[in-house]
Amino acid sequence: MLAYIVRRLFLTLPVMALVAVFVFLLLHLSPGDPAAIMAGENATAENIAQIRTKLGLDEPLWKQFALWVLALASGDLGQSLFWGDPVTTLIGQRAEPTISLALTTISFAVIVAITLGVTAAANPGTWIDRGVMGFAVMGFSLPVFVVGYMLIFLFAIELKWLPVQGYTRFAEGFVPWLRNLVLPSLALGMAYVALIARITRTTMLEVLSEDYIRTGKAKGVANRPLLLRHALKNAAVPIVTVVGIGVALLIGGVVITETVFNIPGIGRLVVDAISRRDYPIVQGVIMLFAGLYVLVNLLVDLSYTLFDPRIRY
Amino acid sequence: MDATAFITFARRNPTIVAGSIILLFMTVVALAAPLIAGDPRLMNPVNRLKPPSAQFWFGTDGLGRDIFSRCVYGARISLIVGVSVASASVLIGLAIGLAAGYLRWLDNYVMRVMDGLMAIPAILLAIAMVSLNRATVGIVIIAIVIPEIPRVVRLVRSVVLTTREQPYIEAAISGGSRSLKIVLRHILPSTIPPLIVQATYVTASAILIEAGLSFLGAGVPPETPTWGNMIASSRLLLARAPWTIFFPGLCLALVVLAVNLLGDGLRDRLDPRLSRRM
Amino acid sequence: MTKIARRTVLKSTAAAAAIAGAPSLARAQARPSAARTIRAVFHGDVPTYDPIWTTANMAAYHGGMVYDTLFGIDEKGEAKPQMVGKYGYDAGNMTWSFELRPGLKWHDGTDVTSGDIVASLKRWAARDGGGQHMMQRVKGIESKDEKTFTISLKERYGLVLDVLSKTSTPVCFMMRKKEAETDPMQKIETVVGSGPFTLNMAETRPGTQYVYDRNPNYVPRAEAPNGISGGKVVKVDRVVFVNMPDGQTAVAALQAGEIDFYEIPQPDFMPQLEADRNIKIQILNQLGQVGLIRPNFLHPPFNNVKVRQAMLHCVKQSDHMKATFGDSKYAKETPSYFAMGTPMENDANTGWFKGGQNFARSKALLAEAGYKGEEVLLMQATNIPYMSNSAQLLAQELRQGGFNVRVEAMDWSNVVQRRSVKNPPAQGGWNIFITSAGGTAVGHPILLAAHAATGGSAWFGWPEDAKHEQLRAQWSVGETLADRQRIAREIQENAWNFVPQVYYGQWVQPAAMRTNIRGVLPVAEIIPWWNVEKV
Repeated sequence: MLAYIVRRLFLTLPVMALVAVFVFLLLHLSPGDPAAIMAGENATAENIAQIRTKLGLDEPLWKQFALWVLALASGDLGQSLFWGDPVTTLIGQRAEPTISLALTTISFAVIVAITLGVTAAANPGTWIDRGVMGFAVMGFSLPVFVVGYMLIFLFAIELKWLPVQGYTRFAEGFVPWLRNLVLPSLALGMAYVALIARITRTTMLEVLSEDYIRTGKAKGVANRPLLLRHALKNAAVPIVTVVGIGVALLIGGVVITETVFNIPGIGRLVVDAISRRDYPIVQGVIMLFAGLYVLVNLLVDLSYTLFDPRIRY
Repeated sequence: MDATAFITFARRNPTIVAGSIILLFMTVVALAAPLIAGDPRLMNPVNRLKPPSAQFWFGTDGLGRDIFSRCVYGARISLIVGVSVASASVLIGLAIGLAAGYLRWLDNYVMRVMDGLMAIPAILLAIAMVSLNRATVGIVIIAIVIPEIPRVVRLVRSVVLTTREQPYIEAAISGGSRSLKIVLRHILPSTIPPLIVQATYVTASAILIEAGLSFLGAGVPPETPTWGNMIASSRLLLARAPWTIFFPGLCLALVVLAVNLLGDGLRDRLDPRLSRRM
Repeated sequence: MTKIARRTVLKSTAAAAAIAGAPSLARAQARPSAARTIRAVFHGDVPTYDPIWTTANMAAYHGGMVYDTLFGIDEKGEAKPQMVGKYGYDAGNMTWSFELRPGLKWHDGTDVTSGDIVASLKRWAARDGGGQHMMQRVKGIESKDEKTFTISLKERYGLVLDVLSKTSTPVCFMMRKKEAETDPMQKIETVVGSGPFTLNMAETRPGTQYVYDRNPNYVPRAEAPNGISGGKVVKVDRVVFVNMPDGQTAVAALQAGEIDFYEIPQPDFMPQLEADRNIKIQILNQLGQVGLIRPNFLHPPFNNVKVRQAMLHCVKQSDHMKATFGDSKYAKETPSYFAMGTPMENDANTGWFKGGQNFARSKALLAEAGYKGEEVLLMQATNIPYMSNSAQLLAQELRQGGFNVRVEAMDWSNVVQRRSVKNPPAQGGWNIFITSAGGTAVGHPILLAAHAATGGSAWFGWPEDAKHEQLRAQWSVGETLADRQRIAREIQENAWNFVPQVYYGQWVQPAAMRTNIRGVLPVAEIIPWWNVEKV
């Protein structure tokens, strides 16, 4: 197993190298000028040119790339062109909100979705089943920002139950922290509830139709909850796979959700950075997300052994 | 097909029929746009934010444009984006996947590149590509296609790998058939059913991603109406003029819903094995 | 590392440790109560901590907190001493002399000296258009003793105090000699001013929030506050600049009491905000913004004066204002070349405006110019709503007026890069872009970079007109207001003939705040947070 992990980690190196080259070229070969943004509206062309030189943006591309990669190898993501702070510091400052949002969304989605999926699978063909599946298709079909605005309008503006926007640090108390995350997690979680509920239902139905369950039934394990628990454990592998895919999708959804709910997370950091061409931030965040994606997939693969002893690495 | 046969088919496959009817309707609307709607770009600030009425069926937006016309023309772009992203990613993904699945020496390199592409969050890649370049429908389509390709490649490759081991392929190889012929005649057909299903999901997600990109200001240029950029440009008007968001939102949800229904139906019909897995 | 930098770092580590690990009681003591903290949302993000480095207004908002100025304008736009105590002008030697008022200290506790001031003036003048204009006429800036310095002139020049006191960016902020000796092209690294607030680096999060604490050692002037002049008395413990790009979210947050102040509520939210008993609306910048349409003088068709004149007859400012601001009392038309409401506003040569939108006239002018339907490339910034709206409307108007327009959609960053390209449109250049500028600057022939008509060295669009430049030079040495107003009329008479730019309207931005916020001073281009109370 250890050998497997080492081999997998080694295989991520070429992947990350590809991502690095791709991202760097995409950014630097495209138009847009951080110097002009930084200089402001009333600046002259000479001012902007001087700023470009100071930022090192006039250096040959290969040299800029080499400098970036060398720093990258030692864990240095460079400095923001605008504030001058190290990108690692900026990401560090923004990490907590994004991680919190991701965790609450995943937990919410998994709990609700598995409940819905199991309920539907336990009552196949009934109106409960149809209702759940209908909801699942709807959840896929609504853009996350539309859901977000609806939720704000209803729960924050009309009913005043929850705050409209913002983020409270976990250190300032669990309840204030959670209150700020309820609506964003609901908005962002909708699509994952749909996705995971679907996969839960189908795999559960599949497992329930397998021989050993039927045998169990025949032998008198007629206890329905017990049966479902048994089946759920066997359905775990595909569910975990989908949760893993979900994390990748989540990273995309976070970008929009953080904008709607004004959560000072990494998603907003990178969107702002793209619009003003703060190259080191964009490069750093994409490398980070890519690394995270690779890691999550490795963890998902490893978790299979946990749920299904037949799988060995 | 006569009427009774159709009814039987519809009974057995309600989702395929419902999805197809909605999509067919939207396609007709999109094609006939110039006949049923006025100029979607015509601005008249004097008429801004008029609620739905006999003159403006869906009301007007912040620049005084007719939302009905824009919804009708928006169908064109959304469908074009959806369909071209689906066909481009499926065709490119199919070619790469067949090559990777069949030529063992190529497989490793191709899959590493695909892993790299998959590791970049799709929406970030798309935002970067669109906002770094000019915003045109073409760029938006390319930006959505690129992250979709690796998913198709993986699907195709997995089908190829399983098919390759089948006895009839081995028979064909020992019978002296050339590789290309084997791929085209024996392997390609088995990839089609799962790909059709995949294509419907890609269509739905492309339409949603286009809307999301527009929301972040990195979508199709605002002069060209799409449901996504209509919602995005009116998002500040949610409380003041809800119709500016409601109607394009409804069109968007309806089409994505129809595509998803169609996809579910096709999946159950074409690939019962996949239906159990997914 | 300098003393202050080390101290800042030590302080920030300690504070960070306190936040991360200490029980909530300790934090409650360290952080001012909500009742003494103002949370404000502005039009953008602080782009850099160096306020002379950019012309973005947010830099001046930030600078106004941390730094002080030698002079400040009052509500009438007149320069009043701020850091300066006694001052005078010796007409014989053409020399200004200034003495710093007592009690001025940097945030590190050291005294402000004239050496700091001289270095600050030089660094600022290297970056500021107004400063450069002044320096061309300055023989020398010298420190006489600890508290006194002089500015001696080569020729008569009436604008010294105007330039030192202006609120248009870059504002003439004073820094320590150490930072002021930084290469003007290099950003300063430590934020140490002598202003009424200090920047709390430990709690500031670039891109999300900037925290300013009351400077307990600040000695305000005795006069009542007026404009940005007079005593800067701080009445709260902390002001937080929150960066919140989504307008919908910001309005909702204001209504929910999560923030106290929102600078730029969209006009469409006004009815909703006006109906809210907890919210009040106040116009802080009466001169507002002027919308600019810049044609490119270097390439056809806008290298032809008749084609530029045709544009004047196509643009209907009231439509542009309606498109973004609705039927709003906050927007108006500006036939004057110098913004409406400024001292230089006039009605010379405005026949094109009085005649109203006139597509037939436009087509006739295009025919006279020999326009053959060459494509006009209009750059549209899609991520800034009012620019995006106006670009779409302008395209429609120009098409109706006989132009062949292609709208090229891109984000603002692309616009600002591409507009500096002098090549023809087919080779990466452009024909028209849209922007806006502060009313105060548009009303001033010198301060606005876009007012220069010096061809290749002018602002983007590169207008060239010798007479315009001659008149601007005359204006800057005009000694009385009446002189300057007369020359301003002549400038406008000429400008609406050669058409360096076209306006699409002028608008003021009403700010919205909670009713318990009192004493926000109405100033153009800077929002002062001294004098503000939370009751």
